[in-house]
Amino acid sequence: MTAAFAQDLAPLDSDSALAEAQSMEVGEAQARIEFRSLDQDVQSLKKEVLDLNRDLFLLEEELLFPANSQVAFFISMDVGEYFDLDAIKLKIDGKDVSNYLYTEREVSALHRGGVHRMHMENLKVGDHELVAVFTGKGPGVRDYRRGATMSFKKGIGAKYVELKITDRITKQQPEFVIKEWE
Amino acid sequence: MLSQPLAADDKSGLTIVKDAHFGEVLFYFYQEDYFPAIVRLLAANKQTQLENHIDESELLLGGLYLSYGHHLQAAEIFERLLVDSVDQDIRDRTWFFLAKVWYQRGYLAESQHALDKIETELPKPLEAERTMLQAQLLIDNSQHDQAIALLGDWPGEDTWASYAKFNLAVAMVRSGRVNIAADILDQLGKINPQNEELSSLRDKANLVLGYAYLQDGQPVAAKAPLQRVRLDGPFSNKALLGVGWADAEVDHYRRALVPWMELKDRDLLDPAVQESMLAIPYAMAKLNSISQAADHYLNAIEAFYEETRRIDQAIYRIESGEFLSEFLAQDALETTGWSWKLEALPEAPESRFLLHLLATHRFQEGLKNYRDLSYLLRNLDQWQQSVDVYRNMLDTRELAYNERLPRIEKSLGQADLDGMAARKLEFDARLNSIEGSADSLALATEREFDLWGEIIALERNPALQASIPEAEEIRDKVMLLRGVLQWDLDKEFKSRLWKIRRDLRQTGEALVKSSRSRRQVEEAMRNEPLLFAEFNRRVGGLSPKIDDLKARVEIVMDRQRVFMLGVAADELRAQKHRLDTYTVQARFALAAIYDLAATATADAGFGSR
Repeated sequence: MTAAFAQDLAPLDSDSALAEAQSMEVGEAQARIEFRSLDQDVQSLKKEVLDLNRDLFLLEEELLFPANSQVAFFISMDVGEYFDLDAIKLKIDGKDVSNYLYTEREVSALHRGGVHRMHMENLKVGDHELVAVFTGKGPGVRDYRRGATMSFKKGIGAKYVELKITDRITKQQPEFVIKEWE
Repeated sequence: MLSQPLAADDKSGLTIVKDAHFGEVLFYFYQEDYFPAIVRLLAANKQTQLENHIDESELLLGGLYLSYGHHLQAAEIFERLLVDSVDQDIRDRTWFFLAKVWYQRGYLAESQHALDKIETELPKPLEAERTMLQAQLLIDNSQHDQAIALLGDWPGEDTWASYAKFNLAVAMVRSGRVNIAADILDQLGKINPQNEELSSLRDKANLVLGYAYLQDGQPVAAKAPLQRVRLDGPFSNKALLGVGWADAEVDHYRRALVPWMELKDRDLLDPAVQESMLAIPYAMAKLNSISQAADHYLNAIEAFYEETRRIDQAIYRIESGEFLSEFLAQDALETTGWSWKLEALPEAPESRFLLHLLATHRFQEGLKNYRDLSYLLRNLDQWQQSVDVYRNMLDTRELAYNERLPRIEKSLGQADLDGMAARKLEFDARLNSIEGSADSLALATEREFDLWGEIIALERNPALQASIPEAEEIRDKVMLLRGVLQWDLDKEFKSRLWKIRRDLRQTGEALVKSSRSRRQVEEAMRNEPLLFAEFNRRVGGLSPKIDDLKARVEIVMDRQRVFMLGVAADELRAQKHRLDTYTVQARFALAAIYDLAATATADAGFGSR
């Protein structure tokens, strides 16, 4: 019977089997060293690429949305039992600027407390008006569509606006609130 | 692995988000998109946008690095941060997950170091896993006595307890206590399994025990445990082979043929099936069925030849890199992370030869690295294109700015805002004086002013100074007209004053706005060239960095690919070597049979004379 079926725990009892086992161990050790060397190189590259991505991400933001004119719109959910979000549409000063369709994974992330930066815009200093339309399934799994508006003043420096979907338990309805992120 | 942020502020266990950018990181973290989550966290940190989440953001970063498979960076953060101020439960769980990652990547000393950092008992299922990991490390380090001490005291009778028993038996055998190991394996081989996992463990224990008896020269004892292995389980082939050998070792060849004949029709990939194809003619020869034995040896040689040919083709495809390319083509590559696992190999002819590699850490971890490197390459490609666009964008902006600049300078030169401001102040002073002296005539309309002039001229006319009734009558009329005009002027004075003040105020506001705009324009004129220079410097600096990193990623990807393909090709070569060995054995056995037949024929011919 061949020694090929020797279980990894059964003691080896022949010289040739022992030599083969020793040769396998040497090969195994070499493979482990090579794997570890590769793994460390991969780790090092990951760090460098991540750091580079950070710098590129910041550069992109500064180029496309300079701080003085930047307005960012964030979507958040608090519980969200009465509303199953499908999409959000944004209008600024009467102009359609964004229409975002949410996946199940993204909605789940919002439920857990994640915040989505849905849109960024460059706006002049002064007064502006935001209109947001939320589409999804409401109580009773019925199609639901609600709007919310807010006027805001853009000054110097970046501005963050939060669009929050909460549950109004007393009315068993979702509530849509837009406010400036403090 | 880390499904919640590492700190919670409220009773629900979820973090209350106070900084929008922290919430954004969580958005990607909860979707297991670790790469974009890390990038956003690093960016927000650099911009100091996480002031309300300083401590937890650093710990979250460590968790993200760990989930992403960047364990060295994660460890660095945890070594620094996991001090007394962090919740003990979180500290211990974090060290445990780090120990797991390191173990799977082959960093055994680091794994032990992380386990040593755990100070208290973990939640139940994790504690069992931790103890098992510790035992595994001890066995790998040949510290069998310590492993035995750890595993010997395992409480309860659940699945973990069964695994503990099996590993205990392994440690016992490796330390020379084979009889005790046999008892433990025998116990395990008789459990009543509640699930597939325990059924497989029971089969394995019986298999190991059976082969241990066989190798120890106790074929009769071997049969019972081998016959307890399920016929349709993953270990049934080896068990069937072993049962056959147990009978063959006591010369019950006919009985040995029963399991071997069942085995020979199964997948030839399995070494047990391959061996059965030689064992059958061996037994037949022992039973004097020489011609049948010869037929079976010939069948075996042919089957081995076909399989060897298939393996050669598979080795060729693997070494050409087609295999890994197809794997990448089929993989979504949308997410990265340590928890990703290859569940099935691509649909390719060579995949069937590599199935058992899937179960090995090295293959899985190597594949993860390869996949992660591929993601990095794609990421860098996308950025390279974006940077080219930004360069164009900056050039266009600078061009537009330089075109507009002369017009702006000219407008600024022409606009005498200071002069306008001075005049406005003059108007203010004059208006104050008019208000102070109640000079309603100063606010008269042009027509009223002309009328007033006419009235004054009439009053001064020498003809009206005559002392005649006609002149007196006209003097009275002129006085009346003057009175009416004066009354009108006085009546309108306040509202006119208010209007003019309002206009002046609005003018003042417009002047302030214009001055502010002018200052902004002047500031922009000073700053824009500096900004362009700064952006150009940054874009210019990033572009070669991307190129350099891309080249290095490609090199490491190449090395990783060669390593993976080497692992796969070596596996196939080992299979081929086994088939070659069996083929040689079959040929020798066949040659012996032919020799025997030739001798018998010659003897018969000699005897008949």
